[in-house]
Amino acid sequence: MDTFILLFEGLGTALQPMNLMFALLGVMLGTAVGVMPGIGPALTVALLLPVSLSFGATGSMIMFAGIYYGGMYGGAISSILLNTPGETASIMTALEGNRMAKRGRGGKALGAAAFGSFFGGMFATLGLAIVAPFMVMVALSFGTAEYFALMVLSFMTVSAAFGGSMIRGLTALFIGLTIGIVGTDKLTGQVRLAFGVPEMSDNISIAIVAVGLFAIGETLYLASQHVNHKAKAQAVSGSVWLNWGDFKRCIRPYIRGTGLGFLFGPLPTGGAEIPTFLSYTTEKRLATGEARREFDEGLGAIEGVAGPEAANNASAAGTLIPLLTLGLPTSATAAMMLAGFQQYGLQPGPLLFTNNAELVWGLVASLFIANLMLVVLNVPFIGIWVKLLTIPRPWLYAGILTFATLGIVGAQGSPFALVLLLGFGLIGFVMRRFGYPLAPALVGAILGPLAEEQLRRGLMINRGDWWFLLNSNIALTIYAIALLSVFGPRLWALARRSRRRGGATG
Amino acid sequence: MAAEPQQNAAGEDPRLPFDDEAGAGTGKRDVAGLVIAVSLFALAALIVNDASGYVIRRSYARFGPEIVPYLVAAGIAVLGVLTVVMAWRGKFEAREPLNYGGVLWLTGGVIAEIIMLYSGTGFIPGSAVLFACAARAFGQTTLLLNLGVGLVMSTILFVLFRYGLGLSLPSGPVERFIDLLFR
Repeated sequence: MDTFILLFEGLGTALQPMNLMFALLGVMLGTAVGVMPGIGPALTVALLLPVSLSFGATGSMIMFAGIYYGGMYGGAISSILLNTPGETASIMTALEGNRMAKRGRGGKALGAAAFGSFFGGMFATLGLAIVAPFMVMVALSFGTAEYFALMVLSFMTVSAAFGGSMIRGLTALFIGLTIGIVGTDKLTGQVRLAFGVPEMSDNISIAIVAVGLFAIGETLYLASQHVNHKAKAQAVSGSVWLNWGDFKRCIRPYIRGTGLGFLFGPLPTGGAEIPTFLSYTTEKRLATGEARREFDEGLGAIEGVAGPEAANNASAAGTLIPLLTLGLPTSATAAMMLAGFQQYGLQPGPLLFTNNAELVWGLVASLFIANLMLVVLNVPFIGIWVKLLTIPRPWLYAGILTFATLGIVGAQGSPFALVLLLGFGLIGFVMRRFGYPLAPALVGAILGPLAEEQLRRGLMINRGDWWFLLNSNIALTIYAIALLSVFGPRLWALARRSRRRGGATG
Repeated sequence: MAAEPQQNAAGEDPRLPFDDEAGAGTGKRDVAGLVIAVSLFALAALIVNDASGYVIRRSYARFGPEIVPYLVAAGIAVLGVLTVVMAWRGKFEAREPLNYGGVLWLTGGVIAEIIMLYSGTGFIPGSAVLFACAARAFGQTTLLLNLGVGLVMSTILFVLFRYGLGLSLPSGPVERFIDLLFR
C-alpha cells in the first residue's frame, strides 16, 4: 500500500500552514468566481496564472486545484438561484435546481448540491490516488513515438469534444499551434513568426494567451450580447440542511453520479458535460413516486440536483488523472492547470511522480482538505456567497477585466503585453461568436511546442525517417483510441437519435 | 432512454453539444464565415512566407525548424477550404444581433489603458479608465461614478499586489506618491 504511505506524506505537505492558506484562498476564490454568472473555473485559473508566479509551484498548484473544486461548488449556486449556469458542468443542475428555488425549496437544492459535491469530490479523489500510480507505471515505458501519439490523441480529442463541430474544433487547435510556433525554436535558435518584435521573439507567455482568449474574449462576448445584465436572483428559501428523508432520496443519485463522473472525467470527452447529462437523464428515468411527480410536473426534483452535482465534482477529480500522469488536459480548466505547471518549468507526466513526488502527493492530499473546507464554506456560510450575486453585474465584469490587465502587466512588466492581450482577446471574441471552442486553441499553444520537440527529436534519432511514429504498438493503440474518441461520440449520438426516432414510431 | 421533450415543463430538453452536429444553421450564405476563411488563408500564407526565409541547416533529422510551420500552414489551408464550404452552405449557427456599443466601449477601454501606460500615467489611472469604460460597456452609464469605483478598486489592487506580492506595476505620479506613504 505504497499509495497510502505517499498520500500520508502528501498530507504532511498539504497541512503546512502556507499550503493550507493557499488551499483556503483557492476554494474561496473558486467559489466566489463560480457563483458569478457566466464565469467558470477555467477563467478564474486564467486570471490568477500571471499573479501566481510569486506563490511557488506547490502553493499555486494547490490553489488552482482549490479553484477547480470551488468553481464546481459555486457554479451550483448561480445555477439554482439565477438559472444562469456559470459553466457547462452546472447546466444540468440548473434544470431541477432552479425549479426547486422558484417553489421555495432553494435551500434544499443548495444543500443537496453542496453535499453531492462533497461526496463526489471525496470518493473520486480517493479513486485518483489509487488509479494514478498504475497509470504512471504504464506511462514510464513511453518513448518519443508514444509521447507524440499521446499529444496527437490530446489534439484530436480536445478538438472533437468541445463545441459543436469538428472543423471548428480543429481550426481552433491550429490557431493554437500557430501561437505555439511564435518565438525562438528550442532546437536551432531560429526565430519564427516574430516579425521583428523583441517581445514576441522570446516566446509569448502562455498566461497572455490564456487570459486573452478566455478572460478578455469572454467579457467581450458578454458585452456584445443584448441582455439585461441586471437579472434578479431567487432568495434562499428554507434550510440548507438535509433531513433524513432528503438524504435517503439523495444517496443513490450521489453514488451513481460519482461513478459516472469518475468514469468520464479522465476520458478526453470534454470534462463534466457528458457525465452530468447522463446522471440527470438516469435520475429522471429511474424516478418513482414523489420524485416521478416532481420531474413530470416541473416542480423540481432533488435527485436531479444531487446526481449531476456529485458527477461534476467527481469528473473534476477524474480529469486530474490524465493531467497528472500523462500531461493530457481533458477539460478547459485542466488545460489552464497545465499552463500553470509549465510556468514553473514542470511537465506533468510520469516523471512528475518520480521527480516531484512531494508536489504531486501534496496536491492530491490538499484536494481532500479543499473538499472539507468547501462543504463548510458552502453549507453554514452559504448566505455570504449568495450576497455576491447582488454586486451590480457591470462593475463585476469591469473588475474582472481590470484584474486581468493587472496580472498581465505585473507579470510581464511591459505595456506591449497588453497589446498582445487585446489581440488574443479579439481573436477569442470572434471565435466565441462564431461557435469556435477556445480550449483547443489553448491546448494547441501549450502542447504544440512539446509535440514538435518530440517529433523532431524522433526524426533526428531516426535520420529523417517518419515511419518511427508507427513503429510501436503502444503508439498504434493510442492512435486507435484517438480515432475512437473522435468518432465514438458521433456514432453514439447517431444511435441515440435513431433509437429516439424508433421510439416515436413504435 | 426515451427523453420525451413534451414532458419537460419548461421546454428545455437537455442536449449534448454534438447533438447540433446536423447543423441547425441558417442555411443562408454566410459572408462573415467567408471572411473567417479568407483570414485563415492569409494566416497560412503568412506562416509559409515566414518559414521559407529560415536559415537552412544540414542535420541528421533532414528537417529543420521549418517542417512544423509548413505542416501547420497546410492544415490551416485545408481547414480554410472546409470553412468556405461551411459558410457557403450556411452551417454556422444563427448569431444574435451584435451590441456594437458594448464591444466598442470595452475595446476602447483597453486601448485607452495601453496608451496611458505607454505615456507614463501609471497603473491606477489607467485601470480606473478601463474600469469605467468596461462598466459602461455593460450598461452602467454613470461614467463618473464608475471612474470613482475604478479608482478605489485599482488603488486597493495596486497596494495589495505591489506590497503584498511584490509585483512591479507601471508607476506614474499617483503611484510614486503612494510609494512615499508606504516607505
